[in-house]
Amino acid sequence: MALSWKTRLHIWLRLLLLQASWNFERLQGLGFFYALLPGLKKLYPKEDVLAVSQRHVGYFNTHPYLAPLVAGAVLKLEEERALDSTGEHIEIDEFKEMVAAPYAAIGDALFWGGLRPLVAGISLFFAVKGILWAPVIFILLYNLVPMWFRIGFFVRGYRQGLKSIEFVQKHCLPDWAIHTKEAAVVVLGGLSAFMVFSHLNQQHLPNWLGLLTLFPMILLGLVARKGISTLLLIFLTAISIFLVGLFWADLANWLAL
Amino acid sequence: MISVDLLLGALIATICGLDRVAILQFMLSRPIVAAPLVALVLGEPVVGLQVGLLVELLWLARLPVGAAVPPDDTQVAIASSVMVIVSGRFLNAGGIELILICLLVALPLGKVGQYFEHYARQYNVRLSKQVELALENGSIRAAEWQHLRGLISFSLAAIATYAVILAGGLTLVPLIWPLLQGPLSYSSDWVALAMPLIGIAVILGTINVSRAITLFCASFGMAFLLMWLV
Repeated sequence: MALSWKTRLHIWLRLLLLQASWNFERLQGLGFFYALLPGLKKLYPKEDVLAVSQRHVGYFNTHPYLAPLVAGAVLKLEEERALDSTGEHIEIDEFKEMVAAPYAAIGDALFWGGLRPLVAGISLFFAVKGILWAPVIFILLYNLVPMWFRIGFFVRGYRQGLKSIEFVQKHCLPDWAIHTKEAAVVVLGGLSAFMVFSHLNQQHLPNWLGLLTLFPMILLGLVARKGISTLLLIFLTAISIFLVGLFWADLANWLAL
Repeated sequence: MISVDLLLGALIATICGLDRVAILQFMLSRPIVAAPLVALVLGEPVVGLQVGLLVELLWLARLPVGAAVPPDDTQVAIASSVMVIVSGRFLNAGGIELILICLLVALPLGKVGQYFEHYARQYNVRLSKQVELALENGSIRAAEWQHLRGLISFSLAAIATYAVILAGGLTLVPLIWPLLQGPLSYSSDWVALAMPLIGIAVILGTINVSRAITLFCASFGMAFLLMWLV
């Protein structure tokens, strides 16, 4: 028996609560069981649901935006198993284990490492201009791609089951992660230039000074790569600027006298 | 009413704190969204936008990968916005200087958020055991409920972080403000410029892209020259 669209919608909505009980022992394990439960209840007779549930409460961890793909595929496999309990079936636990870690790595690089800085960079252009819609622009732009993944990949996972792995391979998501990160670097370069240029104009300082910003930024980037904490960099920079400001003010007063 | 402002802030801190890890992950928790949201509710959205702009990029390079718990920039942004608005009202102060002082107080206090979140995740380990127990006893409904109980841990972690930052900030800012208000006015605009640039520099240093510095310099140079010459 195939799952109705109502049950699938129910499961998809529950996937939004995937990490509600995230813990260091099983990570998303309980959330994955919680999301699948409406489907398992439909697929298996009441006396079997407990045993099947116990299979799904163990360790599980993937990227939250790609979890619907895994959930869709697992539901398909459970459906096949429920329909023909005597036939040869792939171990569903093994499938989960096999796909969870690679999907987590892809998702982390694509969404956290690439898309988030890219969209943050774009929306901060609006924030620098004082446009109050900047947060709305961030939310709308950012969620376009994850929602497409969350909805489309869930549908695809359920439709294709085991073959959903080929679907992911075909779309070369790791390459997209790299392209997104490159785009983020370009946007952040433009944003830095925009902020520095606007600031120099406000301070009535010569524009060429802005090009000098590249040196401290690259230096700070290299220092950050060594593992120095961002908090320390902020305080060191803020204190240095503060002291230079005081010195400059004293010098200006002294020259005026 | 200051108490109403603080409570409204706590409500938004909880919603955004849950969005951060536990539910949805629509990115309501990002400082550029959370800070203007709380400031809008408190009637000063521009303050929130400025706080969001300053905080958004600082820890963006710290990815929530696996069991890693990044610094809680959500609560830093929300508590800083509330702090600026509330302390601004009773100190009769404002401007970028007050925002910077509130932020520089909130940023180190925000480190406690990592401990609270760590504790919440550790506490949730008990829920796994209780789910197993519920299933052994044949109660699926009880097992489902245990999962949802995790939301309580994450909510408490968010509120605790918000409360610590706010309590520390509202104690320290009135003491620091008279001392630093004047001297900071000489450099406040430059510090405000430096904060997002430090965030970008950290992203540049840690993003895993070959030729990141080349791409960044080319983009910076091109954009800067276009604005300068056109």
